[in-house]
Amino acid sequence: MGAVVNGKTKFRKIMVRLAVGILAVLMAIPLYIAFVNAFKKTSEITKSPLTFPIPPTLENVRKVLESPNIHLGEMYGNSLCIAFFGTVICIAVSALAGYYLSREKSKLAGALSVYFLFGLMVPYVIVYVPLVTMFKGTGFLGTMPGLILVFVSGSISFSVFMFQGYIQSIPLELEEAALLDGAGQFSIFTRVVLPLVKPCTATVAIFIGLSMWNDFLTPLLIGQKMTITVGIYTAIGPYAADWGTVFAYVLFAAAPIVVVYLAAQEQFISGLTVGAVKG
Amino acid sequence: MKRKSIFFVVPAFLIYTILLIVPIIGAFFLSLTDWNGISAQFHFVGVKNYLAMLSDKRFFNALGNTVKITVCVCVVVNVGGLALAILLNQSGKLTKVFRSIFFLPYVLSTVAISFVWMSILSYTGILNSFLEWAGLSGLVNDFIGNAHNAIISICVVEIWRTVGFYMVIYLAYLQTVPTELYEACMIDGGSPRQQFWYVTLPMITPGITICVIMSIMTEMRQYDIVKVLTNGGPGYSTETIAYNIVTQAFGNNMLGYSSAIAVFLFVLIAGISVFQIKASKRLED
Repeated sequence: MGAVVNGKTKFRKIMVRLAVGILAVLMAIPLYIAFVNAFKKTSEITKSPLTFPIPPTLENVRKVLESPNIHLGEMYGNSLCIAFFGTVICIAVSALAGYYLSREKSKLAGALSVYFLFGLMVPYVIVYVPLVTMFKGTGFLGTMPGLILVFVSGSISFSVFMFQGYIQSIPLELEEAALLDGAGQFSIFTRVVLPLVKPCTATVAIFIGLSMWNDFLTPLLIGQKMTITVGIYTAIGPYAADWGTVFAYVLFAAAPIVVVYLAAQEQFISGLTVGAVKG
Repeated sequence: MKRKSIFFVVPAFLIYTILLIVPIIGAFFLSLTDWNGISAQFHFVGVKNYLAMLSDKRFFNALGNTVKITVCVCVVVNVGGLALAILLNQSGKLTKVFRSIFFLPYVLSTVAISFVWMSILSYTGILNSFLEWAGLSGLVNDFIGNAHNAIISICVVEIWRTVGFYMVIYLAYLQTVPTELYEACMIDGGSPRQQFWYVTLPMITPGITICVIMSIMTEMRQYDIVKVLTNGGPGYSTETIAYNIVTQAFGNNMLGYSSAIAVFLFVLIAGISVFQIKASKRLED
């Protein structure tokens, strides 16, 4: 703002940074508490919650790893499987549909666009009871493929909408050139269109992948699968006042996301905000 | 150009229709029955479930809580998010570091962070022992077990979780305001306050509309924090609509009745969405 730099604006700048810094520390305190106290005994935690764990104890972490009811490997595996296959399948079918809807100008395409958009207004909690009821006895629910497809169905509206909008902004020339070269419709889509929509694919992948990884109710009610989120919820139950163990569970649940987030902050922040604003 | 094959849209159409649209129709259907989920038969009861809703104190309590949480969170995250964004916009080199810290809670699982907050806010938790230690035992309180405090606690956790998200969106909008406008305002003798009211605010109005609607839609569906932090309690006092639907259906086996409440929530949210689409169209014109 302005090029004038005098004592007053400089002072203001320092004050602003100080204020933001204090707020950032306040924001980070709950996460800091969770992290340092995962390595303390519960009796120490309430006495001095903010100190660094010196010496650190691995007792809580060991309790989680050695618990007979908790199979961390299975939980991570389930969460990863859902988030990965859910995201890949959703992106594949939505990119195809988005391509069709953005390139076709027929009445049918217009009607289908509105039909897919409809899902964006649905509070997901409405579908749990009918889903469980419909598929009772079909052997479809409670299975991993079933759960993954349920997740996909919940994210299709958003993904189709994103791909449709993005592909609309891509000029037709490249596809026309490929068509003259004798390429078929499907190979035009995979070789010409898909590489061009990479930024959109990244946004959609982060947005739906993270929501699938973190989701609590869907795996609990539909799949009865122990994902990492459902797993820590059921595991903490008996330990609810044993804060050290609680923090160790939280640590295991949050660590993978924090690592990925720190490695790709820009993509995460833009993916989640752009996705939300457009969707 | 040649017409595209309809097969492009078939896989998405099938998954979406069978697993989302059919269940929604199913919910409308179930809401007109008295089915309990166990017995093989059920009866059509017409609008009886909807009439029962109107005289159900527990339902109105859940609706009231949802509205309270929505209003409180919506106001604080938008005012706070915008204020943070304005501060951050002037903080120079460190902006990105601060932005990452504020945004971090938003990417974590709501269940996990709710447990962290439970350890802080519960009666034997960290906040109360800190207050004792600091000689402020007058402020020691039951932040979760007491109904009035518990609602506030739920709001605090949700504000903490989402304020960084809205801040980032406001920051993006602030950066679209041309510097020349601020310079022109300064030359005309505008104070920082006038700059805010007459330059910043009108320029970012689309962003405000989007964030306000987004926060309303998110809070109307609030479930996870309530489930972990209070389990709807004490009693039913912190239940939200979404929480009420799930417990009535999967706890009390009142599938017909819970579907009626779900349809009500659906109509409410769809109404807001239609309003949102109209509002954003008007902004684009």
